[in-house]
Amino acid sequence: MAHGFKKTRKGIVGRFEAPEVQLLQKLFSDVAETLEPQARPDEDPLAAMVGIDQDASEPTDPALKRLLPGASTDPERAEEFRRLTDRSLREAKIGALKASSFALESDPVTLTVEQAQDFARSLNDIRLVLATRLDITTSEDAERVGEQVDFAAVEDIHDYMAVVYNFVSWLQESLMNALLKTL
Amino acid sequence: MSAAPAETPVLTRNPETRTMLNVPWNVVVWDDPVNLMSYVVYVFRSYFGYSDAKARTLMLEVHHKGRSIVASGTLEEAETHVSALHGYGLWATYERADHS
Repeated sequence: MAHGFKKTRKGIVGRFEAPEVQLLQKLFSDVAETLEPQARPDEDPLAAMVGIDQDASEPTDPALKRLLPGASTDPERAEEFRRLTDRSLREAKIGALKASSFALESDPVTLTVEQAQDFARSLNDIRLVLATRLDITTSEDAERVGEQVDFAAVEDIHDYMAVVYNFVSWLQESLMNALLKTL
Repeated sequence: MSAAPAETPVLTRNPETRTMLNVPWNVVVWDDPVNLMSYVVYVFRSYFGYSDAKARTLMLEVHHKGRSIVASGTLEEAETHVSALHGYGLWATYERADHS
């Protein structure tokens, strides 16, 4: 069983069992894949380079919509903001997810504050995706899902996702407590 | 080598937006049942440099009232903050301070 993250003199340290590393790496890579911008043959390479995506529009996938939320209640302003930031936001998230996956290769996992911040964002992004798959839209939903913490009681994919969600939440909480001690 | 101005995105702003540059803008964070309280407090403290007390007050306001104005400034500043907060996975928007 994982021990969670702790602040030590060497950095923020976490110990994991091999199946936990595999699970987290799978989740990091799944979310990174979801975020990958769709390359188009007619795309303006210059615009792409500076992070502008003229065709960026609000995602239809609810998980992606939560990872890339609208920046304004005014739809026109939200759309303009999205065109200017969508690509760089996706790339920043993918970068953090890949770095976090790589950090799990060492045992124990030892993070600098900056790496720990990336790890925290990545765990948060995993949770946002799992939460939309689990239909968590209210705090009552969150409480209901929060009760499922026993792998032995898993009967279907929904139960499994709920247990994984709670594991990632617990891990992120330990990481945030460690990070708060660095401030 | 010479550097091209990095200001291209500004060209796409409409004139209406430009004339409002001096109007203060608010950055709003919205509640959601997923983000951990500890995470939101950490983001407010580390990104904005707020004290623990201020970060907690804002976090609780988001939690209980559904939204909270976490920063104010020029349009550019508000956009930068919203972009950063989206990077952290928080649900943030920006609006004019006189927004009714």
